[in-house]
Order: sequence, then structure tokens, then C-alpha cells
Amino acid sequence: MADRKHGAALGAVAWPILSVAVGLVASGLMMTLLGANPISVYGKIVSMAFRDEYNVADIFAKATPLILTGLAFGFAFRANLFNIGAQGQFYLGSVAAAWVAISMGESSPLVVLPLCALGAALMGCLWASLVGLAKARFNANEFLISMMSTYVALAIMNYLLRGPLREAKGEYPQTDVIADAGWIPALVPGTRLHWGFVLALAAALLAWFILWRTSLGYRIRAVGMNRDAARYAGINSGGIFVAVFAISGAFAGLAGFTEVNGMQHMLVQGFSPMVGAEGIGIAILGNAHPLGIVLASILFGALQVGGNLAVQTSGVPSSIIGIMEGFVMLSVILSYAAQAALSSAASKRALKKGGDRR
Amino acid sequence: MTVITGLIAGALQMSTPLLLGGLAEVYAERTGVMVIAIEGIFLLGAWGGFVVAYSSGNILLGLVAAMAVGVAVAAVYGLFTVRLKQHQIVTGTALNILAAGVGIYLYRVIFGVPLLPLTVEPIRPIAIPLLSSIPVLGKALFTQSPLTYLAWALIPLGYWVLYKTQLGLILRSTGENPEAVEAAGIDVDKVRFRTLLVAGAVDGLAGAFYSLAFLGMYTNDIIGGRGWIAFAICFLGNWNPMGVFVGALVFGLADAVAIQLQTSGITLVPNEFLIAIPYILTIVATVVRSNFNVPATLGVPYEKERR
Repeated sequence: MADRKHGAALGAVAWPILSVAVGLVASGLMMTLLGANPISVYGKIVSMAFRDEYNVADIFAKATPLILTGLAFGFAFRANLFNIGAQGQFYLGSVAAAWVAISMGESSPLVVLPLCALGAALMGCLWASLVGLAKARFNANEFLISMMSTYVALAIMNYLLRGPLREAKGEYPQTDVIADAGWIPALVPGTRLHWGFVLALAAALLAWFILWRTSLGYRIRAVGMNRDAARYAGINSGGIFVAVFAISGAFAGLAGFTEVNGMQHMLVQGFSPMVGAEGIGIAILGNAHPLGIVLASILFGALQVGGNLAVQTSGVPSSIIGIMEGFVMLSVILSYAAQAALSSAASKRALKKGGDRR
Repeated sequence: MTVITGLIAGALQMSTPLLLGGLAEVYAERTGVMVIAIEGIFLLGAWGGFVVAYSSGNILLGLVAAMAVGVAVAAVYGLFTVRLKQHQIVTGTALNILAAGVGIYLYRVIFGVPLLPLTVEPIRPIAIPLLSSIPVLGKALFTQSPLTYLAWALIPLGYWVLYKTQLGLILRSTGENPEAVEAAGIDVDKVRFRTLLVAGAVDGLAGAFYSLAFLGMYTNDIIGGRGWIAFAICFLGNWNPMGVFVGALVFGLADAVAIQLQTSGITLVPNEFLIAIPYILTIVATVVRSNFNVPATLGVPYEKERR
């Protein structure tokens, strides 16, 4: 028994590592199409990512919003719900954070920052709750609605950036730079890494706590495992739908806060357009577990930091980063299929031997 | 009057790929498989169509290539979701991210970094004699690209196959009651996989519409979520080719109005609102309509002898 548990823990580490390796090898083959040597490109990515304190810090800075959008998808996934609208919740969270920061101007950061964070989380929460409500009240397809809501959110953001939130110069669809009071302080001075990373870690801890240490989390997981059984056990699945989307949306909204107040210090049209989709990949890579999501985000962060610098010198375009992410995701999915096949083969062997299945 | 005619013509033009994609989605989903990779297939279809049409100078070859690329991506998607029983939404998302990277990357591999954007002469509309000279609507309806006529032809054909043939019965049963199909000696996975390949070909063609009939060039944001709209139209059309036609027209009209207003510089309402209308309509329609005919096993992999 102890042995099996040990084996499971090993598998939980070994499979993701193996799949990441397979994904990177596949991307390496793509690099050879451009005549680049994948080993030297990967060497550059690693050496660039870990070249100095600034770049290492940047890995965690890049991982920050990914942790939050990864949590947004992963949290809902635990209830077998699909929130693929994290991008839109992220955008509206960004709008709220920027709006609060701009209208507060120069006052104490102790007032501005919490209000920005609260505004962003609340905005993402409300926007996503509508999806949960549609699911609970009308049994609407949450996958479709959350996807469509992203485009509506994008339109709202673009409208505001053309109108009330537009910079004073009126030249580009972006806001003015927010006042210093709205800047999340640096975690490591002289780098871009800010306290938003700690906030993201706290959010991951919170997600874990809610899911595995509260009765709400128990109900969420029960609905996720078997909706009908949960209903017979007296769990109001409609309420769970709304709660899950509210929490999930708050995570995605917070990512808007960390990006606007921590990285960009302004709101720019169409920024970070992949953060929602990458969050889905990260949640899958991390097996929808908060710890896995944090680790997967750091991996994606490292690929982005190292990749963006490596491409400048290696002759491989930056689109290779998306290819790496895509191949890693696919090989992770492949590894799930392989694990399922292996365990079913093992139980068949056990059956043939005449022993107890499992 | 010319504005109205132009608008109708534009709406029909812009609804073409949505119609193709929506029809493909209906077929795949009727067998129980959602083509979540549709956005990626649209994109790579646009890419493959452009690359081959540009290199060979032959648009027709480009269209064939777009279908081949669509089939290839659909085969990967089918391998993961139908054969290996992996999650459709998850697999589709991975393929969409990969497609976005692969499209622009291979463009670079093939063409390097051109100084000017590469272009091909877009497919020209063909005026159908007599019909196109009908006053008012004739010109709008019957001066369209061949792809549009093809899409129109696929509506009755799709309807007939789905509801009036044995093949259609098998397809619909595969989504509703795969056990019964299996009991009749038909391989459920094979039906799903092959339908997926056909859907991939049509989706690839739909993607090529944007690069070969609409813009005459390839950019990485050429699809910009329109694959998802085709996906949504399938839902709104209640998994019925006729419903898809209506849905595609509504979205095509919205697209055409937005384009018209953008180019004419008139601002009655904020442009963003017009752009958002189709999405809002989808949400409202999804919420309001409760009598949807969702295929019973949509998104659920078929497991033989489930324990």
C-alpha cells in the first residue's frame, strides 16, 4: 500500500516531466526546419532565462498572471465546469484596476492598491457569475457563453479605451500611465518582479484551501465528480455553479490587477491576448491542482523569458514559444492517455492472474 | 439602394465561411464530437490555402491544400479525442494554441521575412447570367464567389443526407445512442473519426475563404474568433442545416454592417457595440432557448463494454 502511494507520487512528478520533454523535442524538430540547432536554441533559452537576477525575476513576473488564469480554469474544472472566458474576465479586471488607479490619482498606496485589487477581482467575479447564473438558471452551455463573453468584454474594453479611459494626448487607444501610488511595489528591487507574485501564490493557496479544506470545496468536487449523485446527496448544484464561476472569475480578474498595476502601469488595447488560453494549458499541465498550476506557470514563464531573448540571436522567430506551449500541452494529454492505457492493462493482468482487481 | 444591395451582398459574402464551418460542425456534433479545434483548423486552412495558391499561382490548388490541411488537423484531433478518448475541450484548446504558432512559424519557414506582404489575386465573384440581372436583389444574391454558391448548395444537400438517407440515420444515431449503433455492427469510433475528417476538410475550406476570397493574403489574426462563431452557429441553429443558414446570415450581416460602417466613417453607435452584437445575440439565444436538441452524447467519448 505504501509502495503504491510512493509509486503514485513518483508518477505525478515523472509523467509531467516526460511530457514536457517530449513536447520540447517535437518543437526542436520544428526548429530544424529553419536550419537552427535545437540543442543550441534550448541552451540559449536556458542560459538567457537564468543569465542574471533580472531575467530570473522576470520568469516569476511572467508566471504571475498565468498562475491566476490557470487557477481560473483549474478551479472550475474541478467542478467539471468550463470557464474558458478567463481572457475576458482578465480584461474587465484590468479595466477596473486601471480605472480605480486613475481616478484615485496620487494618494496613499495603502488605499489605492487594495481598492484596485478589490475592483479587479470583483469585476472578474461579477462578469463570470453571469455565466454561472445562466448555467444554473437556464442550464445554458457555460462553455459557449464564457467564450462569447470574452469577445463582449474585449469590445467593452476597446470602447472605454477609445472613450472615457483614453490617454490625455488622445493618440493611442490606451490610458495614461497610472500614478505611482497605484504601482505594486517591487519584490526584488531593480527587477520587474513585484508583490503580485506573492498575491498569486496566496490565491493558489486559497484555491487549495477552498477545494480541499472547506465544505464548499467538498461540494464543488462532489458536483465535479458526479453531478447526479451530488444532487441526490442534497447538494444544490445551481448554487455551486454560481459560486464556482464567481471564484474562478475573481482569480482571472486579479490577473488584470497584477498586470496593470504590477507590469504595464497602464492599460493598453489588446495586451496579453494569450493569457487566458495559456491558463487552460497550464491548468491541464498542472492537473488542475494549485501546486501543479504554480509550477506549470513558472515553466511557461521561463519558456517565455528565455524564448523571447533567445529568438533575438538564434534566427528562430518568437512564434516558436507558442509552438512549444502547444506541443507540451498535446504531449501532456497524450501522457494521460498513456497512463489510462497502462493502468487498464495492469488491471487486466491482475484479473488474468485471478487476483483482486485493484 | 446601392447601400442596401452592398450590405446584402456583403452579408452573404461574410456568412459563407460561417455557413461552411457551421455545417461541418453540425455533422461532427451529430455524431457526438465537438470540433473545438475549429478555430485552429480555420487558421491553418487559411494558411495552407494561401501558401499553396501563392506558390503555385493556382487558386484551385490552394483550396485543395486548405482542405488537406483541415483533414490533417482534424485527424490529429480525432486521434486524441475519438481514438484515445481524451477530453475534447482540452485537446481542442491545445491544438488552437499550437495552430496559432505553427501558422506564422511555417509562413516564415517558407517565405522568410518578405519586405511587402505577399498577396494573391482574391477569388473573383461570378455573376450568374440572368439571375444576377434581377432588379434589386439579383446583383447581391448572384454575384458571389464560387465558394458562396458551394456553401448554399451544401445546405439542401446536408439536410437531405442527414434526414433522408441511411448514412444520415447512422450519423444521428451515433450521437444519440452509440450503443445501438455498435449493436447494429457499425464501428462508432470509425463513424466519428471519418465524419470529423470531412468536417475538417470543410472547415479548412472555410478558413481559406478568408485568405483566398476575402483578403488575398495571410495574417496570423485573419480568423480572429470567427471559427468560434461558426461553432456557436451550430448551437444556435439547433444542430440543423437550415438553422445554421439563418444563424450564418445574422452573423454575416453583423460582420458586413461593421465593415461598412468602419469604411464609411459613420458613427451612429460605437463600432465596438456592433462588433459585440453577434456575441451578445449568441449569449441571449443560448439562454433564452431551452428546447435545444443537443445530441445526447455530445462531447462524451464512446467506451466499449463500459464497466
